[in-house]
Amino acid sequence: MHKLLSGIAFLSLLISGCSSSYQKDTSRLDLIKKRGELICGVSGQIAGFSFLDNDGKYKGLDVDICKAFAAGIVGDAKKLQYRPLTATERFTAIKTGEIDVLSRNTTFTLSRDSTGGNGLSFAPIVFYDSQGIMVKKESNIKNIQDLKNKSICVGSGTTTEQNINDVFESKAIPYNPIKYQDASQVSASYLQGRCSAMTSDRSQLASARSGFPNPAGHIILEDVLSKEPLSPASDGTDNKLADALRWIIFTLITAEEKGITKENIDEKVKLAKNNPQLKSLRRFLGVDGGLGEKIGLRNDFTINVIKATGNYGEIYERNLGENSDVTLSRNSNKLYINGGLHFSPPFN
Amino acid sequence: MYLKKINKNFKKFREILLLNSLNNFLTIILVFAIFITFLQTFNWLIVNSKWTAVTTNIPLFVFGTFPEDQRWRPFIWIMSLLTICFLSIVPPKWKWLRKNLLIAWIGMIPLGIFLLYGGFGIQTVMSRNFGGLTLTILLTVCSSMFALPIGIGLAFCRQSSLFVVKKLSSIYIDSMRAVPLIAVLFFGQLLIPLFLPLGLEIDSVWRAIFAFTLFVSAYIAEDIRGGLQAIPHTQIESAKSLGLNHLQIIRFILIPQSLRIALPALTNQVIGLFQNTSLMSILGLVELLGIGRSILANPKFIGQYIEVYIWLASVYWIICTLLALMAKYLEKRLKIA
Amino acid sequence: MMRYKRFFLQLIIILLFIGLVGILINNLIINLIRTDLGFNFYWLLKPASFALSEHALPFSPSDSYAWALLIGWINSLKVILFSLIFSTILGIIIGLSRTSKNILIKKISSFYITFIRQTPLLLQLMFWYFVGFLGLKNKFINFSNILKINTQGIEFFGLSLTPEFSALFIGLSVFTSAFIGEVIRGGIISVEKGQWESFRSLGLSERDGLIKVIIPQALPAIIPGLTSQYLNLAKNSTLAIAIGYSDIYAINDTIINQTGRAIECFIILLLTFLILNLSITNLMEKINKLINKKQIYIN
Repeated sequence: MHKLLSGIAFLSLLISGCSSSYQKDTSRLDLIKKRGELICGVSGQIAGFSFLDNDGKYKGLDVDICKAFAAGIVGDAKKLQYRPLTATERFTAIKTGEIDVLSRNTTFTLSRDSTGGNGLSFAPIVFYDSQGIMVKKESNIKNIQDLKNKSICVGSGTTTEQNINDVFESKAIPYNPIKYQDASQVSASYLQGRCSAMTSDRSQLASARSGFPNPAGHIILEDVLSKEPLSPASDGTDNKLADALRWIIFTLITAEEKGITKENIDEKVKLAKNNPQLKSLRRFLGVDGGLGEKIGLRNDFTINVIKATGNYGEIYERNLGENSDVTLSRNSNKLYINGGLHFSPPFN
Repeated sequence: MYLKKINKNFKKFREILLLNSLNNFLTIILVFAIFITFLQTFNWLIVNSKWTAVTTNIPLFVFGTFPEDQRWRPFIWIMSLLTICFLSIVPPKWKWLRKNLLIAWIGMIPLGIFLLYGGFGIQTVMSRNFGGLTLTILLTVCSSMFALPIGIGLAFCRQSSLFVVKKLSSIYIDSMRAVPLIAVLFFGQLLIPLFLPLGLEIDSVWRAIFAFTLFVSAYIAEDIRGGLQAIPHTQIESAKSLGLNHLQIIRFILIPQSLRIALPALTNQVIGLFQNTSLMSILGLVELLGIGRSILANPKFIGQYIEVYIWLASVYWIICTLLALMAKYLEKRLKIA
Repeated sequence: MMRYKRFFLQLIIILLFIGLVGILINNLIINLIRTDLGFNFYWLLKPASFALSEHALPFSPSDSYAWALLIGWINSLKVILFSLIFSTILGIIIGLSRTSKNILIKKISSFYITFIRQTPLLLQLMFWYFVGFLGLKNKFINFSNILKINTQGIEFFGLSLTPEFSALFIGLSVFTSAFIGEVIRGGIISVEKGQWESFRSLGLSERDGLIKVIIPQALPAIIPGLTSQYLNLAKNSTLAIAIGYSDIYAINDTIINQTGRAIECFIILLLTFLILNLSITNLMEKINKLINKKQIYIN
C-alpha cells in the first residue's frame, strides 16, 4: 500500500515541478549569458556563407555574423557552438529552443516573421539577394520561356521552391521540379545533367559556380524571380534577444560607415576616450550614453563585436571579396552612401 | 549417312566449346564478366580516380570537427574499445579480468563520455563538435548498451503473467517495429524538445541516442523473446527443484541462456544499428556519412562522388565484417563452453 | 492476499503510465501555447503551393495539402510495390545460387550478400543515384529502343521512370534481395536431405525437383521471413528523401517546413505506416493460409 502512496506522491511532485518551471519566463538573452555560450544554427553547406573548411572549422558570412553575436552578447567570439541544420529543421530548432539564433541564408518574409506564421523575429538584413536561374551555356536557354517542360533542380522546403512555382505558374509555363534536401545535392544533380537548370539565390548560384570544374560554362539568367533579403532570425516571442541581435548587426554597418576596422579599433577607442567632443563616436563605442545596457548588453559591446569580426565590409571582403574562394561583387550590399542598400539607424 | 556425320561432329564441337552443361557455360560467362569488371575498375583506379577528397580529409572522417589538439581523446577511447573487443574474443589468462569484462564494457560509456565531453580537469568539448567515425561509434555503443537491458526487460514483460504489463509492452514493441526508423529519429531530433519542460534541454547527440535506444530495444526484445521460447522447459523445472527462487532463475538460467541463443540475432541488430546511424546525416548530425556529404559540398572536392562513396562503403564494410567475425568466433566459443 | 497484491501492482503500473503520459502531454500543451504552434488539422485543406514532379494523379500547387499527402502515399506505394516484386525475383535467384553446386556462382552470390548487407542502405541509395544514374552523363545505355538508361531515367517499352524513382527502386530491391536470398536459402536448407535424394531416385530433373518438391516444402519456413523483409522494405522506402523522390515522408517534411505543423504531420505519418504494416501482415498471413491449405491437398 505504501508503494502506491509513494508513487502518487512522486507523480504529483513531478507534475507540480513541471508546471512551476513554466511560470518564470525569462529572456533567452539571460540564458545565453548565464550559459556563457551562444548556439548558432548554420547551413554548413554553402561556400562563402557557411561551410566546413579543411581544418574542420566553419567559415563564411553567416558564420561571421554568429561570431559577432557571440562577441556582443557573451563577450567572446569563441564562446560559440554551431549547429548545422537542414532547411526543414531550422524553424523548429528555434521554436524548441535548440538554437539561440539562426544564421542560415534565411529569407525575411511576412509569414516567417509573424506570430500567425512561423513566429520568428528577424534581425536586419545582412545580405541583399535575389533568386536566379543558372543554366549551361551550351544549352542555349536564354530566358525562362525556354525552360518550358524542362527539369529544374531546387532545394526543398525553401522560399526558392515557392518562388519558382509562383513565377512559372503565373506565366503558365509547365516545368518539372526536382527537389533535394540540401544545396550540395542541388548543384551536384545539375552538374551531372539531371536538370537543365538549377535555381537558388544568385549568391548561392555564384558560390556554387565558383566551385564547378568549368565556371565559364554556366550562365545565370537575367530573369529575377524574387527579392531574397537574407537575415538572421530568433524566436518571435523574445523581444529582448531580438533587440540585442538587431543592434549587433547595426554595429557592423555603423562601424563601416565610421571607418572603424578590426585594426584601428583600439586607436578609435583611445581617440573617443580622450576627446569628449566626439559625441557620436563616444556613444557608439560605449564611452558615453550607456546604450548597451538598454538592450541588455555591456556598454562596450560594439568594441567586442568589431574586435571579433571587423566591420561589415571586412566580413564581406573576407568571405565573398576578390581574394576569397567565392567572388561576388558587392552591388546592393554596399553601404547606402556608396549606392547600396545597407543603412543603420543612429546609435542615439 | 552424311547427316549423321554432321550431327556427330556438331556434338563433339559442342562438347569442346560449350562444355555441354549449362553450369560450365555459366562459369565461363561469369569468369569473363569478372575479368572485364576487374579490368575496368583497375583502369579507373589508375587513370581517372582522384582521391584528394579522401586523403586530405582523413582526420575529418575520423574525428569530425573535434578540436585538433584534443584529438588524442577520441583516439584513446576508440583504442580502448578495440582492446576490450579483442579481450572479449580472446579471453585473457588473468581470471579477474575475465570476470570483470562486463563491468569493463559498461565502463566504456562513462569513459567515452568523459573523454569526449571533457570536464574534471580536461578541456570541455561540446557535442556539436563530435563527428565522423567517432560520433558513429559513440551512437552505436551507447545506444546498443542502453537498448540491451531495456530490450531484455521488455521481453520479460511481454511474457509476464500480469495482464497490464504484458499488454503495454507488446503495444510498445509492435508499434515501434511498425514505424520507419527515420520517423523515430525525426521524433528524437525535432519533437522531443516539445515534450520537455521549458529550460530542460538535451543535446542533439543524446536525443539521437535516445531515439535509437527506443527503436532498437523493441527489436532486441523480440530477439530475446525468441531465445526465451527456445529454452527447454525442463531446465526451469530442474532449477526449481534445486530450490532457486524466481529472480535467481531469471538471473542464472533465463538471461544467459536466451542471450546465448539470441546472439546471432543480436549481432545483426548491432550491425544494423551501426549502419543505421548514417540516417542521422539526413537529420543534421555530421557522423561518418554526414562528413562525406559536407566534404562533397566543398567546392574543392565537387564531383568526387565515386571516390568518397567507395571510401565510406569500405569503412562501413570493414567494421561490419569485423563485428560479424567477432560474433561468429564468440558463438563458437560459447558452444564449446 | 496474492490476488490483491497483483491487482495493486497492476494498478500502480497503470497509474505510473498514465502519469508519465500525462506529464508529457502537459509539457506538450505548455510548449504549444508558448510557441503559438497550436494543434489542429484545418491546414490540411489549404493550398499546398509547391509543385511535384512525380504524381500519378493530377496535381497542381493550388491543390490542398491533404491531396499532396495522398499523392505522396501513391508515390510510396508505387515504389514499394515495384521493389517488392523485383526484390523477390532477385532474392530467389540469389537464394538458389547460394545453394547451387557451381562453386563460382555460390561464391559470387555469397559475396554479393555479405557486401550488400555490410554497407548502409542510405549510402547505397546515394551511390545508385549520384553515380549510377547521374554519373552516366551522356553515356546512353540503349538496347534497340526497348530499354534506355540515361541521366533522365529508365525507359522500358515506352514506360519511362524518373532517375529518382529508378535509383530508389533499384537500391531498395538490391538491398532487400540480399536479405530475401538468405531467407530463401534458410528455407531450402530446412527441407530434409532425404527429400532431395528421393526425387532424384524418382528420376525427376534437378529443376523439376526443386520446383515441385523442395520449394513447396520450404515455403512455410520462408513466408514469415519474407513478411518481415517486406515490412522492412516498406519502412526503408522512407529514405527516398535523401535522393529527391517525393514519397510520403519527403512530402511530410516539406509540409512541416512550410507550416511548422510538426506534431500533426508526425501523427499522420505514424498512422499511415501502422495501416500499411497491418495490411502487409494480413495479406501475407492470408497467403500463408492459402499455402497451408494447398499443402494439405498435396499431401
